[in-house]
Amino acid sequence: MTEVTNVRPTTLLIAAMGGEGGGVLTSWIVNAARSSGLVVQATSIPGVAQRTGATTYYIEIWPEVLPKGAPKPVLALAPAIGEVDILAATEYVETGRMIEAGYVTPDRTTVIASDHRVFTTHEKVAMGDGRTDIAPIKKAIAERARLAIVSDMRALSMKSGAVINAVMLGAISGAGVLPIPAETFEAGIRAEGKAVEANLRGFNAGLAAATAGSGAADENKSVAHAHSALSHMITNDFPLAAHPVLEEAVTRLIDYLDVPYANLYLQRLEAYAKGDQELLVSVARHLAVRMGYEDIYRVAQVKVRPERLARIRAEAGAKDGEPIKVREFFKPRLSEISDVLPTGLGQWLQNVGIRNPRLAGKSWPMLVETTSVSGYLRLSILAGLRRIRRSSLRFGVETRAIESWLETISLAMQSNHKVALEISESAGLIKGYGDTHQRGMKSYTLIMEQLVKPAVSNNDFTDQLAMQISAARSAALADPDGQTLKATLENAA
Amino acid sequence: MGAERSFAKEVEQLRAGDGDVFFGEGILAVTKGLLQSGVAYVGGYQGAPVSHLIDVLVDAEDLMTELGMHVETCANEAAAAAMLGASINYPLRGAVTWKSIVGTNVAADGLSNLCSPGVMGGALIVVGEDYGEGASIIQERTLAMAMKSTIWLMDPRPDLQNIVDMVEHSFEMSEASNSPVMMQLRIRSCHVQGEFIAKDNVSPDVGTKNKFADPAVFEYDKLAHPPVTFSHEKLKVSARLPAAQRYIVEHGLNELIEGEQNSVGIIVQGGIYNILMRRLHVMGLADAFGNSQIPILVLNVTHPLVPDQITDFCAGKNAVLMVEEGNPEFMEHQVNTMLRKADLNTSLHGKDVLPAAGEYTADVLQEGLVSFLELAMPTGLNKSGIQDLVARSNDARSGGKISLGQTSPPRPPQFCTGCPERPVFSAIKIIEQEVGKVHISADIGCHAFATFEPFSMGNSILGYGMSLASAAAVAPFQQRRSISIMGDGGFWHNGLTSGVVSTMLNAGDSILIIMQNGYTSATGQQFIPNSAAGRHKEPPGMDIGKTLKGLGVPWMKTIRTYSVSVMVDTLREALTTDVPGLKVIIADGECQLARQRRLRGENALKLERGERVVTPRFGVDDEICSGDHACIRLSGCPSLGIKDNPNPLKSDPVATVEPSCVGCGLCGEVTHAATLCPSFYQVEKVTNPGAFESMMQSLRKGTISMLGGGK
Repeated sequence: MTEVTNVRPTTLLIAAMGGEGGGVLTSWIVNAARSSGLVVQATSIPGVAQRTGATTYYIEIWPEVLPKGAPKPVLALAPAIGEVDILAATEYVETGRMIEAGYVTPDRTTVIASDHRVFTTHEKVAMGDGRTDIAPIKKAIAERARLAIVSDMRALSMKSGAVINAVMLGAISGAGVLPIPAETFEAGIRAEGKAVEANLRGFNAGLAAATAGSGAADENKSVAHAHSALSHMITNDFPLAAHPVLEEAVTRLIDYLDVPYANLYLQRLEAYAKGDQELLVSVARHLAVRMGYEDIYRVAQVKVRPERLARIRAEAGAKDGEPIKVREFFKPRLSEISDVLPTGLGQWLQNVGIRNPRLAGKSWPMLVETTSVSGYLRLSILAGLRRIRRSSLRFGVETRAIESWLETISLAMQSNHKVALEISESAGLIKGYGDTHQRGMKSYTLIMEQLVKPAVSNNDFTDQLAMQISAARSAALADPDGQTLKATLENAA
Repeated sequence: MGAERSFAKEVEQLRAGDGDVFFGEGILAVTKGLLQSGVAYVGGYQGAPVSHLIDVLVDAEDLMTELGMHVETCANEAAAAAMLGASINYPLRGAVTWKSIVGTNVAADGLSNLCSPGVMGGALIVVGEDYGEGASIIQERTLAMAMKSTIWLMDPRPDLQNIVDMVEHSFEMSEASNSPVMMQLRIRSCHVQGEFIAKDNVSPDVGTKNKFADPAVFEYDKLAHPPVTFSHEKLKVSARLPAAQRYIVEHGLNELIEGEQNSVGIIVQGGIYNILMRRLHVMGLADAFGNSQIPILVLNVTHPLVPDQITDFCAGKNAVLMVEEGNPEFMEHQVNTMLRKADLNTSLHGKDVLPAAGEYTADVLQEGLVSFLELAMPTGLNKSGIQDLVARSNDARSGGKISLGQTSPPRPPQFCTGCPERPVFSAIKIIEQEVGKVHISADIGCHAFATFEPFSMGNSILGYGMSLASAAAVAPFQQRRSISIMGDGGFWHNGLTSGVVSTMLNAGDSILIIMQNGYTSATGQQFIPNSAAGRHKEPPGMDIGKTLKGLGVPWMKTIRTYSVSVMVDTLREALTTDVPGLKVIIADGECQLARQRRLRGENALKLERGERVVTPRFGVDDEICSGDHACIRLSGCPSLGIKDNPNPLKSDPVATVEPSCVGCGLCGEVTHAATLCPSFYQVEKVTNPGAFESMMQSLRKGTISMLGGGK
């Protein structure tokens, strides 16, 4: 008997996340194969992976129609490394995961992948940017796939009002690896009778994507247009490399307070205009963020922007005549209130807090309905009050902090650019409000006190110091409790 | 009946008759096999990979009632095992199902007491062997349990026709040997889609429509009670075992595949057969249709083994490979003994070339086969093909890793969008920041997802409904009270007695949080005693609160899970109160998957009728978001994602709410409970508003836009 034939089953591995309809996609393919008279077998490992975890579905199809009564091939229930003909992945990192596992090989695997990202919890919980680098996935697909059909199939599915699995089915059909004509798949979708029109639109979108190949267009950000006089200053006094950042910053600071404030920003930067460009850009970025610190006025301003309501209506898919109700969740604490009061008054309230700490720790949860007249009024009045920001307690505090930060940078700049750059970058730790702001401020101050201050006092800025600051910065983002930072600083000392 | 998945359409196929081609999932094939065997009663307890078998049985209840069969959804596996007691005294065929090994452990007492007297009517236990990729439990084999209780174990070759045939044989063999039979279905076999030729369904001779006139006569031999237990033990080996072995041989349950390379052979568990044949095909030692150059003995029955069958196969061979997944290698030991006793010096390989533990995937099995053939390569077998193959798969294995050059972030299952259990863990995280860490006894169920990021909570998992019991000797040694988490599924499964009653009995002072979501949700929302609906539509009507009140639990509060601040206060009180004894918090919130399914239907109807529908969702003002992701660390909701920072001057990604948001309210609650940034807002869209509502709306809009607020 065993003269070994070269015919082997066509194997298809679907990598998806639970709840995406991978089961339906599998059934579509199985039914299409059966109605083409092909022997097919499908398996899956749902279990609790159904609950949005990574999961796989596996299909084997015997590529030739077998005569009735002929012996049936033995089909495997699980994919084997290096023996997958089609990998269909509904998300980009899941594609990478399958390549990593060895299921994609140049000799046979056609990769059909959606390059959109659904971030894992692990990536989302990072205190900074914990997102996986997708460049290696792109490279790996290019190196390992026999043929690759990559596009944003989630976008296609949204456009066609179908679920992503319909788009995947179209792409699988379009890849032309399976001995099944497109019509048979379409017939299957019709036969099932669920959301037929939408699924057919999705299917055809996928089919088109497969024949067109991949096309991921990156949207170009609209360049902010600053106040003309200031734009003039920017173009004359600053190197080209810094222009985009400065334009952006000036526009935002005018929006944040007024033109003179943006002007002050540029004046503060003059000192760095002629120096190292990397340092200039870094200081420019962080100075803009620091000068645009977050306070109650700022929040109110954002919440009452004219275009905001339209955006929210769109998000909620509200048609004309469909009322929407928008509720804001605020929970200011004593310090956030004293911050925005005129210095004297704010100081007094702060002292009240210092005298009874329970009050200082307290915060007042409030729900403000921006879509009600009273709620809107309260916020728009607050937003208007930003004009008195200059006289507020917090403004003074921030101004002093910013100036000492700039002085330290300038001092370090004279002997060691690396250190200056690190000091500038450290400001990135300060962000947000409430707990977040306090935590960031604490880390920043620790680094300044324990690493930078000694260096300043005996004017000794070494490369080693730069490395220590850099290490401390990433340590500060390692855990919310500051354990890692504490350890790192102890080692440095 | 699993609220999550209905098999109403599929079960129609179960009416198929002689010669019809039946296409479907493994579990449906098994069900059809039961109907073709004239089973009188079925039951079981849900658990992957056989959760849906329960769903199918319940969805097929009408058909079964027609045929005079009785269906039960048992409270736990022990109840299901005890149910088989009906086959001790009566010629009734019965089948039960559960997840193994865990379900088999829970059922063990009943099984032992069933096996001692043995059965008159065929008794079949279909176990979902939750082993290897996709498994959700501790990795142990059912074989050990089958062996110690003298239950025959089927491990059928995963081909639907073969599985159905083996179901029918199981009943015959059970009756021929007076012993229960287990059929183990591996995860993928349960979900495999394939076809087989059906037969007519058979009504049981005695069924719910024609009942016994009288109960069984008193026979002391049928009791698991001394002194007959001693004779039972002897009967097992003197009568039942030989009868079973005879049946296996006479009906050819194990399959012999001839091959010309007679100097070697392979003995394989039926469940591994397909993987083995594919490996041999790829290695050029077999074709794609199951014809092999190497002789193979396929064991559809892995307990008992038949010594003559084994020794006949091994006789005259230099070497035989025993492919036995899992450990200890009971089968390999038995085969060794058989060879020794038959004085055969065929060398037996197994765990020396294959790993002692873990799933035998294609990759693993291939390595084993290659090393086996290197040790015992028959003459005239093409070596080169095998070496090429090894080289190729080595490249495949390493090539991807090298080319990617990074490890992909883990993506374990997690709480669904809007899950009512998530807020409880947000609350625990917040209270821990205040009072410090507490010992948390975790349990089986969706809530075990809290062991993953962002919560990373739970010090131990001891089994389904066992959390509180597992805290019994922890609490006395903790300065802070310990918290046990339990689902309502686990509570009824056995948490009520082994946890609550045991703690009360010992005046234990700890905290129990019961997640009351109304279903066993991880398994597909099967109904439980406190479900709002039942499989016969009307609810079972049992109530956890009343039950605990009846037991006299000293301190008990029922809290809506989404009210995080209230939950935080309640936890604080539970952790600090002077009230001694057990403190129970019932965290109440319907499974969001089930709720959304219900709402979709209700709202669709309302919209048709033009009635008022309110759709809530949450949003984030990305200009305000600090990019610190504290909100995500307190929630981890799939619909709370991240995106590029809209402010090019800031580098950290900001939080964003995906369209999948169901507006459960957690984001807002957490913002208030934990003092997060004010970027969150809640939107309520009103479809088909009332006339007054519309008027007020346009008035408001008018005024606001006059004030410069936009349209």
